[in-house]
Amino acid sequence: MIQPRLSLKRNSEVSRTDPEPTSEASKEPAVESSAPEERDRARPAQTGPGHRVSVSDLHAYYGATEAVKGVSIDFPPREVTAIIGPSGCGKSTMVRCINRMHEEIPHARAEGRIMLDDNDLYAHGVDVTSVRRLIGMVFQKPNPFPTMSIFDNVASGLRLTGNRGDNLRERVHRSLRAVGLWGEVKNRLDSPGVGLSGGQQQRLCIARTIAVEPEVILMDEPCSALDPVATLKVEELIDELKEQYTIVIVTHNMQQAARVADSTVFMLDGHLIEHAPTKELFTNPKDERTERYVTGKFG
Amino acid sequence: MQETRSNYREALKSLERQTLEALDMVVQALDRALEAVSYQDVELAGMVVADDDRIDGRYLEVHQGILSLLALQTPVATDLRIVAALLHVIRHAERMGDQCVNIAKLLPLSGYEAPKDKDLLDAIERMGQLARSQVSQAKQAFAERNADLAYDLLRQDAEINQLNIDIFNRALAIGDDIETREWAMHMILVARCLERIGDNAVDIGEQTAFVVTGLFREFADASHPG
Repeated sequence: MIQPRLSLKRNSEVSRTDPEPTSEASKEPAVESSAPEERDRARPAQTGPGHRVSVSDLHAYYGATEAVKGVSIDFPPREVTAIIGPSGCGKSTMVRCINRMHEEIPHARAEGRIMLDDNDLYAHGVDVTSVRRLIGMVFQKPNPFPTMSIFDNVASGLRLTGNRGDNLRERVHRSLRAVGLWGEVKNRLDSPGVGLSGGQQQRLCIARTIAVEPEVILMDEPCSALDPVATLKVEELIDELKEQYTIVIVTHNMQQAARVADSTVFMLDGHLIEHAPTKELFTNPKDERTERYVTGKFG
Repeated sequence: MQETRSNYREALKSLERQTLEALDMVVQALDRALEAVSYQDVELAGMVVADDDRIDGRYLEVHQGILSLLALQTPVATDLRIVAALLHVIRHAERMGDQCVNIAKLLPLSGYEAPKDKDLLDAIERMGQLARSQVSQAKQAFAERNADLAYDLLRQDAEINQLNIDIFNRALAIGDDIETREWAMHMILVARCLERIGDNAVDIGEQTAFVVTGLFREFADASHPG
């Protein structure tokens, strides 16, 4: 896992795509109506030690405005890290720096260092596209490609990376199973993706994200446009995905952070105020500002 | 930065007020029970028994209020620790009220004109004063979030425990008169009730320390003393 992966070459392909079922039936979620064996097949074997994202002294700017003011943080492999904080605290900006989306905004720039394991994501000559393939992103509003079918939505990223034929079909199906959508869409894979419900669309977008087998998944308010049941389905999905992926989730919903995250980060005004195991942050926060925010004393 | 969630803050404050008031009720019940013991006043003892319904009612109110607050407001951080501690404190108040009832129910068993032993009665009265002071101090420590004051409860509790032993020994040596011995046996039970009230006060002190520090630990561990 140590050799550079940013040259568009992946080396975890074989193990990650192992289609053999594993005997983890006990961990199957209750949210899906499809047959259990289908879900078993959806779960690839655990592989390798996972991937770590390390952010050091990150500063992010929109023109002259500094939105992230020197944040250092480690996102450990196979854990869910939630980022909470009031609007404008820099949490989304920080996350968008991780897969180099921040720089797409005119006059926006970032300084500091972000490492994916041993690879500097901002090193000279790094291919931005390959960064975004290794570090997937799920957005607030479900955004399936409007002109594409369910199948093509999931296949879109794979086609860009040269997958064709049976291999393509197999990987699309596996991704749909992994997000618990297979039972709901298997008979209408050619229908438009936008014909699904909001919750289904969001899971479709997550399927599209994991189809290209990233190493890290970033989620920016993935449930804020969903109803409570769809939200819980996505949360259960996050819990499953963390067995394979490093997950960073930005959320305004503190209860959601409490439910899904192993550790939680509180940001305020561009600074990281506190990063602690979630249980600790919500029962005994160390910083007065965290206390005031989680108990709702901020006006 | 302006204060928000004012209804929630009011509800939390009011639950704490209701809980600490229950400790005032305990002090009142204890005063009456002790006076009844000193003067062998069976009627006053009857009032202590009847009035315990108020403390039991308060327990139910606070319990229901805490369930609602948890369901509707999802308290976290210090607020969550306060709510968890209040559940313990109201439970201890209810138990202390029951101990006052236990004391009051012992009195009629010795009759209206029970013979008394001055040394023994002095020790019981001293114990009663200590227990009363412990309950007041437990309340004050919680209200002020004063962990040092809470920890100081242990010092008083040690004195109560010693008096409990002294009373037992005095009752053993009280002499041959059967009625005096019977009264003395009842006083051993009264002393036991007062000793339990002291323990409950120490437990409230532990909850205070938990709210303040975020860590729960027993001040003294009866199964591993020293």
